Amino acid sequence: MTDLPKRTLDRLPLRWVLMDKIEAFASLVWPAKCHRTTGWLFLTPALLLVGILLIGLGYMLEYSLHELDLSSYRLKDAYTLGNYRYLLEQPVYLQVLLRTLLAASVVTLATLTLAFPYAYVMVRTSSSAWRKFLLVSLFLPFFIGQVVRAYGWLIILGKEGIINSALMSLGLPAMDLIYNYGAVVFGLVQYMLPFAVLLIVPAITAIGEDIELAAESLGANWLRAFWHVVLPMARPGLVGAGIVVFTLTMTDFAMPEILGGGTTDFIASAIYDSFFQLSNSGLGAALSIVLVTLGSILVAIVFRITGAGTLSIRQ
Amino acid sequence: MKNRQVVKNVQRRTVMKAGAAAAGALAFPSLLRANDKPSELIVRAWGGAWGDALKAGVADPFTAATGIKVRLDFTEDNEIKPKIWSAVDQGRIPPIHVNWDTSTNATISALRGVTVDLSDLSNLDGLLPLARPAGLEGYPLVNTYAYVYVCAYRPEAFPDGAPTSWKTMLDPKYKGRIALYDDGIGFNPIAVIAGGGTFEDIPDNMEPGYEFYRQLKANEPLLGEDSDFTTWFQNGEIDLACTISVNARAARQNGIDVQWTVPEEGCKVDTDGLWIPKGLPENEEYWAKEFVNFALSREAQEKWCSLLGLPPVFPGIAPPEDLVGDPSYPTEPEDFARLVSVPSPILVENQPKWFARFNEIFQG
Amino acid sequence: MQLIPSKKWVLGSLVAFSLITLSLPTIIIIGASFTSGEIIQFPPEGFSLRWYRQLWEMDDFRSAFVRTFQVSAICTLLAIPVGTLAALASVRYRMRFQRSIQVYLLLPFTIPLVVSGIAMMIFFGEIRILGQLWPVGVALCLINLPFMIWSVSSTVNGLDPELENAAHSCGAPPVQTFFAVTVPAVMPGIITGALLMFILAFNEFLVSLFLTDARTVTLPVQIYNSIRSVITPDLAAVSVVYILVALLAVWLLDRLVGLDIFLKSR
Repeated sequence: MTDLPKRTLDRLPLRWVLMDKIEAFASLVWPAKCHRTTGWLFLTPALLLVGILLIGLGYMLEYSLHELDLSSYRLKDAYTLGNYRYLLEQPVYLQVLLRTLLAASVVTLATLTLAFPYAYVMVRTSSSAWRKFLLVSLFLPFFIGQVVRAYGWLIILGKEGIINSALMSLGLPAMDLIYNYGAVVFGLVQYMLPFAVLLIVPAITAIGEDIELAAESLGANWLRAFWHVVLPMARPGLVGAGIVVFTLTMTDFAMPEILGGGTTDFIASAIYDSFFQLSNSGLGAALSIVLVTLGSILVAIVFRITGAGTLSIRQ
Repeated sequence: MKNRQVVKNVQRRTVMKAGAAAAGALAFPSLLRANDKPSELIVRAWGGAWGDALKAGVADPFTAATGIKVRLDFTEDNEIKPKIWSAVDQGRIPPIHVNWDTSTNATISALRGVTVDLSDLSNLDGLLPLARPAGLEGYPLVNTYAYVYVCAYRPEAFPDGAPTSWKTMLDPKYKGRIALYDDGIGFNPIAVIAGGGTFEDIPDNMEPGYEFYRQLKANEPLLGEDSDFTTWFQNGEIDLACTISVNARAARQNGIDVQWTVPEEGCKVDTDGLWIPKGLPENEEYWAKEFVNFALSREAQEKWCSLLGLPPVFPGIAPPEDLVGDPSYPTEPEDFARLVSVPSPILVENQPKWFARFNEIFQG
Repeated sequence: MQLIPSKKWVLGSLVAFSLITLSLPTIIIIGASFTSGEIIQFPPEGFSLRWYRQLWEMDDFRSAFVRTFQVSAICTLLAIPVGTLAALASVRYRMRFQRSIQVYLLLPFTIPLVVSGIAMMIFFGEIRILGQLWPVGVALCLINLPFMIWSVSSTVNGLDPELENAAHSCGAPPVQTFFAVTVPAVMPGIITGALLMFILAFNEFLVSLFLTDARTVTLPVQIYNSIRSVITPDLAAVSVVYILVALLAVWLLDRLVGLDIFLKSR
């Protein structure tokens, strides 16, 4: 088009001229022979952005190799593996880790148990109003955020909270519903529920209703049809949701802090405490590196077993 | 290490710049700095009754006198510490102007070299010796009052009178209804004595204290921060706690029946102080110092400390009516003798280890 | 589909339980915020708007709200191009190291938030940008980026490559094809992703806790700090502000792309 006589060009709408200029510019900086690498061009901003995390982790790795000097509260210059040795020698870190992993397993199981029926009903219901209601009830808490929801549970479960007030008005003794492991697990389950449902839903949608009906018409009762047909077919969604819930729980900070009453710390709190309460950034960095490594290994194992398809971008 | 080198260079550059600025300031008298008022001062504080007392006793009168707004920042004391340290190391402007801190933490920051010397404050003259930081040169921080980690209890739960020993905490009757600070602060030395040790065991033999903690763990204590105690007492979540008298008094002033006592093993007495981080613009540092100086004036000390219910470092101020003769309000040497005071240098060197052991026992 | 009674009953009760646990905190907070008493309780003591009035009069909360809005906007504006391009790249272009790239782009999810937050605090400090507001927006974009990529790539999968080829063979140059054909086709994904990014940034507190200070504190951090000091009903009033924002976001999502987008199989 740039070959048109100047007179014609003048009469073209401004937008066209502008577009032409942009195209010309684009072909100048990114000539057609580079088009094979356009994918990389598109990826670069994201790669750079995520690179910030890698740089930060590099700093962490460096910090973790220096011990704290208690007379100046600075990291010593000498390189050492002392922080890692300390982590191994102190049983408390293993215990906190085990507690975290146990909680993550329990939360994952409970969340999937609740999320699957929710997703199933939401997909299968014939009433669009009911479906919308379920969707909104799901999105609202998802959009409200963890801190505010934990705060709501404080009001409900506290010693003078709603449940205990109700119990006492019935003449029953008050219960310890908060500041314990159970409260943390419960808070986490309801926090994770929307994530899990949203990840399971596409998998259920993909299962044809006719397949299920066929199973039932062949005489399988609904539970067996569920067990042998629906659940296996929804496996990719369940695994994906399971991984997300497990890793999010494993690294959660707010729920144990707010609902745990100080004695049910998770590994994230231990990292926080090393950095801030003990002012020992070397130790905290070592703990971070260990957690990142463990998490990566776990995710890699799950990928191996289930095939990476579950979490990949290309579904 | 490369990046440390960079840090040093930058520091040198900022130091040089600061030097040039200082030379300029010498030419113009401090009047210039004084006239260049910052729009606000950010003072890190503890929330709840503590922040209310600082606001009414120091911040508001300071604003009235100078026109400078004071903003209280309720970031946790432990959280602000590394943030200030890295800001000073990296030559950034620190996130706050004045830190209201425990003397132990303040001493750690002073050792780290991030605090401004306060020796030239005019109101330092005539303060009680308590105001001077222990084991440090000059005034890298200034102590502002003393306080006691009392044994606070709900009288309803103790029909036979106040608990006489900290060992009451081990009574299964109070399972899940006792509370400590979440790092054991204020209780670590006491636990040694309650666990069968003596004051001389501190800091070399803390084992009796750890043994006491192991027994205590079975009784499921709640662990929290200052304001948690007030909330827990208000909501009837606990019967017995080792907490600073201020928190118990705040619950009492809200109409909750809470008492406190000093059991036979004693209670830990300590001080809090104020300090200013290095690296502030000159006029802001000037006004931050004015703020600290104001906090040490008779007017501010009287109001602030009587709201807190704590003995100030300004001499000759009468205790609030409800605290006359109270064990949580030590003024005379013999009052202090009944309490347990661990010297600051020992705390600085050992407290992190105690915190770590406390965490191990209670998180394990 | 006709449900068998026992199936209906079992599924129904599980869903009911989920519904109650999902909604109860929201309802309680709304109720508690209207108390006229001094402390948080339910049922509230009397009815009044005093805590809302108090909230409105607090400069701190107002400026924190504005800052939260700015941070979320930066996060969203950055996420739209970065996430869309990345999603297009990984779905439309055959590339080597595809698997490694996917694992790499998932790092914001696999690295624990507490670690990411502290790592960025260290790095931003070293390059002297800690203490400003915009790095917080960048950080929030980074930690939630996979959500944006997911949203867009799920619509890219549904985009027919023939469309782009058709545009091409009709002589449309690449940039024009991109803006006239590709972008409109993935628009629902972009809108969904952008809304998600905005609302997640609006709520994020842990990474923000490490990257903000008193001058740049955002609302979720402010709420967290307040929960740790004294819990007063003004907190419930702030939370209601959050609930309203969430309602608005859900409504927008429904209007613009339809909530049903989440029910599609990919």
